[in-house]
Amino acid sequence: MIPDISSILFSGAIGLLVIGVGGLLLSNNAYRVLLALVIAEAGANLMLVIAGYRWDAIAPILTGDFTPQPMVDPVPQAMVLTAIVIGVGVQALALTLIIRVKKAYGTLNMVEIKKRMEMDFDRLSQEANQPGKLEDNS
Amino acid sequence: MKHYIILTVILPLLVAFLLPTIGRFSYFLARALPPIILIFSIVITACVYNNETAPFALHIGDFVAPQGIVFHVDSISLLMALSVQVFALFLWPRRSFKLQSEQIVSNKRYSLMLLLVASANGLAFSGDLFNLYVFYELLAVATFGLISFDTNEANQARFAAAFRYLVISATGSVMALLGIALVYFLTGTLNFAHLATQQANLFNPIGLSAFALLLVGFGVKAELFPVNSWVPEVYSAASKKLSGYLAGVISKLAVLVIIKALLFIFPHSEAAYLMLGLGLAGLLIGELSAMRSNDFTRMISWSSVAQLGLVFIAFSIPGQAGIIAGLAVLFHHMFVKTALFLIAEKWGGRISDLHGQGYLNLIMSGIFIFVALSLIGLPPLPGFWSKFLLLNGLAGQEYYFAIAIILITTVIEVNYLFRVANHLFSREDKPVLPINNHHWFDTLTASLIVVALIVAVWELPTINDQLIIMSDQLLDIESYVNRVLISTENGL
Repeated sequence: MIPDISSILFSGAIGLLVIGVGGLLLSNNAYRVLLALVIAEAGANLMLVIAGYRWDAIAPILTGDFTPQPMVDPVPQAMVLTAIVIGVGVQALALTLIIRVKKAYGTLNMVEIKKRMEMDFDRLSQEANQPGKLEDNS
Repeated sequence: MKHYIILTVILPLLVAFLLPTIGRFSYFLARALPPIILIFSIVITACVYNNETAPFALHIGDFVAPQGIVFHVDSISLLMALSVQVFALFLWPRRSFKLQSEQIVSNKRYSLMLLLVASANGLAFSGDLFNLYVFYELLAVATFGLISFDTNEANQARFAAAFRYLVISATGSVMALLGIALVYFLTGTLNFAHLATQQANLFNPIGLSAFALLLVGFGVKAELFPVNSWVPEVYSAASKKLSGYLAGVISKLAVLVIIKALLFIFPHSEAAYLMLGLGLAGLLIGELSAMRSNDFTRMISWSSVAQLGLVFIAFSIPGQAGIIAGLAVLFHHMFVKTALFLIAEKWGGRISDLHGQGYLNLIMSGIFIFVALSLIGLPPLPGFWSKFLLLNGLAGQEYYFAIAIILITTVIEVNYLFRVANHLFSREDKPVLPINNHHWFDTLTASLIVVALIVAVWELPTINDQLIIMSDQLLDIESYVNRVLISTENGL
């Protein structure tokens, strides 16, 4: 027995989301966290495409000999395109931040980064009210 | 006149992208232009607020509603846009450079602030779920950039904080996108007015999970309980004025988006219970963590988590009482938290370092004590009135458990806020640290906030009437639908 194709796609989308969220929770490397995010986003995008898809329909393009027949909803596809572009932008920004973190702390280990960050906060908190502090960085 | 409201989104966006080029020719122009643009859009918003009393819908490009993009302008969104712009003007990053290269950095900072303002205005006005998502992402990207700017090179923590925030925020965006996909799957539309006509399709477990996903997704910026671990990190790492702006104003816009989702997508008690539970958890965790922290910035960051928990509790009360109480808590917190972060500008370090400062800087410590009293809810002050509305609404629904938790956390609030006051006026025989005075403009802004709170005490009946009008408009979904879907003569 062959399951119908839409249920395969739905479970694929949910599977991608589960893999992505699992990776976010379990991986310890900043770069892998970012990759997990990419996978989760792909899952959400796939979900949005399936939401507007019809199996018995044609692509929503008007040609010269137009006969009325069911068309695929083009709106979710346009939205997914937007979401993909936004996602790429955010991922590029995340990569630059990863590079700066690596330069500052010399590690990509999330636990280590958090520890170093807390140490920095403690230091900043102690130095904040010390006399001779540099002027104003607001 | 009312079409000009679009300019409050377009102009900051346009200038934000032109600013790097302008800065190459004239640094003076690049410095002067953004505040001028902000003042211009404040004037536009104020005029529309005064002239057009009735709410109206703008169909952009004259496309009929479910197909085209709609801006829905009512008094609550106008007021939010007005506060976004006014607070941005007062919390505008100051020039802080000594080198040529730092000029370019502050130009970029001005661009990002304008992007933040434009996307926040878009969030206030937009009447379409996907449009909201796009503005929300734009806002998030502008925030990441602003957090990682600091002229203090020793502050390396800002990159780590920005990255950790980005991971949480992007996860939230994935959740929101999934929620949007589910809503579209159920109804085939994302326009709020069109969704309101199809609520029968949404009243099922899938609709509830779509709302829950949207709540968690947009709740990242609103400091909602399970996704708020970024709050103390980011507010400690970023400049304090930016933190004040994020905690005071931007988080409120995310709350507004969630309220829209609650009213138009899933206006049923299950969703309200979800918000009540998460709000209570946020309140408890925020207040307890604030009590444990030894750092002033960290303390007020956790207190802002707790206050937003209160906002969510208030909005979970069904009917008009909940909306009025929620708006009162929301606007009160907007003023109070901004003032507290302005105080943290110079007093952001360890609380024990502040001993004796009260005698040196009487104005700021006076402002701190006034604002703290209002936050706790001492009777004549506006904070008392907002908390009273909240408790009254909760009592009307017989949510006695929530009332108990709010009263207990108020005691905790008194504890940690007055620990600071105690240090400020301590007579201990230790040398008082020579902390720099606050910048005169920050002192002025904080004093203006205090003046606004005092005026609010006299004007309580007027404010109450305004809140009733706003909540009426927010709850009158039928005329919202009519304005957006039927009237087409409002096209641009």
